[in-house]
Amino acid sequence: MEDYKFLFKVVLVGNAGVGKTCLVRRFTQGIFPPGQGATIGVDFMIKTVEIDNEKIKLQIWDTAGQERFRSITQSYYRSAHALILVYDISCQPTFDCLPDWLREIEEYASQNVLRILVGNKVDREDREIPAQVGEDFAQRHSMYYLETSAKEAHNVENLFLQIAAELMEQMRFKELPRYEQEQAHSINGRTTAIGDSCCSRLS
Amino acid sequence: MLESIDLSAPDVEEKINQSLGLLNEKEEELDKQLEALSARKSYLETKIRGITKALPNLQIVHSDSEQLAEMISFTCTLAENVSAKVRQLDVARSRVSECQQRVHDLLDLQLCSDGVQTALSSDDYEKAAAHIHRFLTMDQSVLEQTADDVQQDCSAVTNSLTLLQEAAGQLRDIVTIKFTEAVKKSDAASVERFFKIFPLISMHDYGLEKYSAYLAAKLDEASAKSMKTSLETPSNDKRACVVFADLLTVLFETIARLFEVHQPLIETYYGPGRLLKVSSTLQQECDKQSKLILNEFNKQRSMDRKIALINEVERLGTSSSSSALNSNRLDPKDIDLLLSEISIMHSRYQLYVRFLQRRISNDLEVGIKDTASRAVHLSEMDALIQNSDLCRRMQTLLGHYLLLERYYMENSVIKAVAIDTIDKASQTSSMVDDVFFIVRKCIRRAGTSGSIDGVCAVINNACGALETEMCSALRNQLKLGFPSGYLDLTQAYNVMLQGRLQTSDSEQARNTFLVYLNNADVSSECVTTLCRSLCQELPCATSNDRAKLDSCVAGLSSVTAALGAITDYGLQQLRVSAVKPRIGPWLDTFLTLSHNLTQEEFSNYEANEPFVRSLIANLNMLLLEFENVLTNSNYDALIAILVSEVTTQMEKVIMKSEFNRLGGLALDKEVRSLVTYLSNATSWSVRDKFARLTQIATVLNLERVSEISDYWGQDSASIPWRLTPGEVRQIMTLRTDFRSEEIRRLKF
Repeated sequence: MEDYKFLFKVVLVGNAGVGKTCLVRRFTQGIFPPGQGATIGVDFMIKTVEIDNEKIKLQIWDTAGQERFRSITQSYYRSAHALILVYDISCQPTFDCLPDWLREIEEYASQNVLRILVGNKVDREDREIPAQVGEDFAQRHSMYYLETSAKEAHNVENLFLQIAAELMEQMRFKELPRYEQEQAHSINGRTTAIGDSCCSRLS
Repeated sequence: MLESIDLSAPDVEEKINQSLGLLNEKEEELDKQLEALSARKSYLETKIRGITKALPNLQIVHSDSEQLAEMISFTCTLAENVSAKVRQLDVARSRVSECQQRVHDLLDLQLCSDGVQTALSSDDYEKAAAHIHRFLTMDQSVLEQTADDVQQDCSAVTNSLTLLQEAAGQLRDIVTIKFTEAVKKSDAASVERFFKIFPLISMHDYGLEKYSAYLAAKLDEASAKSMKTSLETPSNDKRACVVFADLLTVLFETIARLFEVHQPLIETYYGPGRLLKVSSTLQQECDKQSKLILNEFNKQRSMDRKIALINEVERLGTSSSSSALNSNRLDPKDIDLLLSEISIMHSRYQLYVRFLQRRISNDLEVGIKDTASRAVHLSEMDALIQNSDLCRRMQTLLGHYLLLERYYMENSVIKAVAIDTIDKASQTSSMVDDVFFIVRKCIRRAGTSGSIDGVCAVINNACGALETEMCSALRNQLKLGFPSGYLDLTQAYNVMLQGRLQTSDSEQARNTFLVYLNNADVSSECVTTLCRSLCQELPCATSNDRAKLDSCVAGLSSVTAALGAITDYGLQQLRVSAVKPRIGPWLDTFLTLSHNLTQEEFSNYEANEPFVRSLIANLNMLLLEFENVLTNSNYDALIAILVSEVTTQMEKVIMKSEFNRLGGLALDKEVRSLVTYLSNATSWSVRDKFARLTQIATVLNLERVSEISDYWGQDSASIPWRLTPGEVRQIMTLRTDFRSEEIRRLKF
């Protein structure tokens, strides 16, 4: 039953209606539920993937985007291994809110959490944010960048598999010293471990 | 077939021979075929005989089947004739019954039209409605047709029809007016009376609508009254701190009572499956009332101010403690009662939602048989509950609750760590009990709210508070180290005799260190216990909820890893400053004693045990110092450290010494008494840890070099060696009486 080598917690955040739940459903169940209602609180899904013949269990926490659930969703940041920040490429306001989300991440998440910026809904014709703008933003804030479409299953699998691969890589370098963080800091004064150097575009 | 042969060709003979060969082969083949065919001859003959015999039978079968076919077709016509008659009969019968129905209808029509007038004139609305109801169940177009068919009665029937239609309209008007009047006068009996009439005159929806509005008005009235009385509750009343929870409870209970009382009525007169419509009207009223209550709650409990304060504190961070901020900083104690109140409010809401879901879905189960349309109605119900204003408000309230609860927990934990006191009677300080009391309390309180997301969030926050506040306090204390200036023998004796420590600074620091080491160990146990009890006591509605909770609890239990690391860190400190430096000199005395003994010296040595006796006394002293101060598992860990230090350093001093046969024997005895002593000191087996040392002693205690083969070998008697062959050789060289070439010759 518990047949896996690593367990990673992946948390999705971002404004309401950008398609977080659809991304998760597409990845875990292979479906695109039309007319998906707003998530209440936080949803929880599990999917096991295989990278280099190693079983990796991804625990995916799909959070509600609406403001009134913020207290619930904030509590999941701290233990996350990866944070996926999602916006809708056809909706400028969801992009404009990204700095607010980053502030939250700064405040609550662990410092060496893997951060990925995702521009969703590339299937839409009415794009408002050019890919380059999203990518620049991600680069400025040391995040990976990826454009997806949950509707057309574009890049969704890739997104999660890349995260699993990257986290496994981190694990191999150092057994994710979440608990020895303070020691790690005092020893080599390094606050961001991999986050700094990982600003490249996932391909 | 055969190619023609050119007789003049030089190889004619060869070709002829070749052809002959071919022909011979051909002949053989044909012979074989002929044989096979003739073999089949007898078989075929028997078959033919059989068939000839069967031929006459076939003729009989043929005539039989022709007869049967005739019979069947005859039966068929017969059956068709019979059924045609039956069909005719059936048609006739249905016409008769239709006719009867019409006659009945006509008779009733007359009766109804007469009855309705008398009933209306005598204000007997029930009777009038009953007549109208009977009229409405008739097929009016058929009646009109009848009127046309039976020409002489035409006028009577049409008269009755128009009369009844008019009466129906009249009755509808009257009942509507009367009902409204009754509602105005809040005359419950009349309301009920007219409510029952609506379905009789095909006004189901209208009736339900009006009735729901009536119930909503009742609800409005009731909650306005309870709001008034609650607001007058004196602040010293013991319910004052939960007055809004009480108000909300009253509201929900009132609604539940309305359902309880009026659902049977609706079900009887309107049929099942109508509850959803009623509850959607009631929910609107409930939204309105709960909004009033929650607004008043926010005002009275100054929620906005509290949240703003907390947000400000969090924004500025705990480090910048400006005086202005501190002065109106929220004391966690002040929000304790408020948190309880909110959790009660939320739990009442959850009960209410479950009540609605159960009631409505049961009603739909009975009322709507079609599964597809029932599913539509069920999703309508979910939408009604989820999209209600009340639901949104409660979600917002839960958000506020979680913010406050986190603030409460974090600050209480910080406070518990800050006011930590060490009690001599206890192995741990006050902080452990306090912190876990707070954490457990907060999680349990969130549990009473009935929201799984709420509980999970509080568990996550607890995990954060434990790791950032408590773990760092423990780690920081242990980082200060265990002061190495240890008690010398006389001091230790004094301490034991007086039974108390004289509090010098370093003693106090040592004591604090040990207490914190225990804190880390006990906290780890506390986390495990907490997780176990949470899994048992928190109820989960669905398997998904269970998975969520389990995952969050697993996150909490991972705090034990952090605590374990802290304990290990502390124990290493002890090794470095309390164990290693003290054991070194004790074992160095081994070097001052010769293990090159004569018989006389050996007897003397055996009698006095100069080395091991004092070593054991010293170890005993050291352990006594810690035995009751440390928790069991820490004490065991300390002994493990002690054992590993003693064995490694003992090995070192042995390797620096020389032995003869008797010296080896003395050493073997010394090691044995050491193992015996330490085995008695602890609950787990130390023998394994001493394996190497015991084996070294065994090697040094050998009679002759060759004797090693008794111990070392493939046979079953051999012991699992911890020493490599190289090490065995090296140890043997310590024996002054072993010849080096003999050692070199040894084969393993």
